Amino acid sequence: MNTRHLGRLAAPQRALSGVLLGALLGALPGAALPASAAEWTVDPAKSAIRFSGVQVGVPFTGRFEAAVEFDPAKPEAGHATVLVDLASARTGDVQRDEALPQKDWFDVKGSSTARFEATRFVDKGQGDYAATGTLTIRGTSRPVTLPFHLAVEGGAAHATGRVGLVRTEFGVGQGAWASGQWVALDVGVEVDLVATARSASGH
Amino acid sequence: MANGVSARRYSAVAILLHWASALAVLVLIGIGLTMTHAALAPLRQFQLYQWHKSVGVTVLALTALRVLWRLTHRPPPQPAGMPARERRAAAAAHHLLYLLLVGLPLTGWAVVSLSPFNIPTVLYGIVPWPHLPLAGLVPDPAAAEGILKRVHALGAWVLAALLAVHVAAALRHHFLLRDDVLRRMLPGRRPSTAPIVEPTR
Repeated sequence: MNTRHLGRLAAPQRALSGVLLGALLGALPGAALPASAAEWTVDPAKSAIRFSGVQVGVPFTGRFEAAVEFDPAKPEAGHATVLVDLASARTGDVQRDEALPQKDWFDVKGSSTARFEATRFVDKGQGDYAATGTLTIRGTSRPVTLPFHLAVEGGAAHATGRVGLVRTEFGVGQGAWASGQWVALDVGVEVDLVATARSASGH
Repeated sequence: MANGVSARRYSAVAILLHWASALAVLVLIGIGLTMTHAALAPLRQFQLYQWHKSVGVTVLALTALRVLWRLTHRPPPQPAGMPARERRAAAAAHHLLYLLLVGLPLTGWAVVSLSPFNIPTVLYGIVPWPHLPLAGLVPDPAAAEGILKRVHALGAWVLAALLAVHVAAALRHHFLLRDDVLRRMLPGRRPSTAPIVEPTR
């Protein structure tokens, strides 16, 4: 499933997402990793961006396709951009997947991309970090901090993070959906990335 | 050759369409009453609405097939001794039934299409079904939805009442008048036996 979704990314995007974790890692002061960001490649089969919510009292989860951009010229600036394709949201329920792109929800005709631009990385110790930046959905931008944990083991780096969002702060759920009566206002976004060092994969 | 048979009975296709519609309409009335009047958990209520939409579209499709079939196939004639007034009443009732079997799904579809909730219809959770393109045609979709909802509910009560008359009439023909009006719509009989038996009566 991971492979299928992330595998659909266009080649340049996949290359970018390959740079991503390297970007995150390279930007982290004190991370015990090779200095060059470009030496890390995200494994699409093991990586995913997921979301979760509650509809009429029943939890559901879904996933997005995403690309991650990074300016390799300034890794020490801790700058990363995550582009999430909102039109790619899949939750395993055809009806929900039909509804999500429409104007009450993600309004993909307006803008099909959610953007998280992280401009600051804080080392919390014990492998915990916080990426602070701006999240933009439906043209609404808000400051968001994504806490994540980073584990590096045997040439593979695994970053997992979760951030809770209030969907209506971004206008997700218009009109009759702007209350939490049918669909809870609290949603979660999970980032789960695995990257391997290129040297370890025979580069 | 088969003329004797088809003149006495509805065709197998007509019988199948009739009873499939009958079952679906009963299910629709049951779901419709439950989802609008019972105090249900939100999930259950939501699911019932989705079922109602799926079955309703099914009835619309069945009715379209039935009308096509009816227009291209002659139904069996009314019993010979049937009074003209009853023939007219039966014809009117059948026309009204067809009208409701088309009109109720259409008004329901319009309600879904105009609803501020804008919930997509996915037939039986599998096949996406479009909205009617009405939102741009009416100045106030929410008001139009409210009116159509009432029309839909009123139509459902008219249909339920008419079905009661329809069933009562069929039972009257079968048990009181003892003609073949009900039998010719019943499945499971060998049609070939009908022409042999009937002329002896």
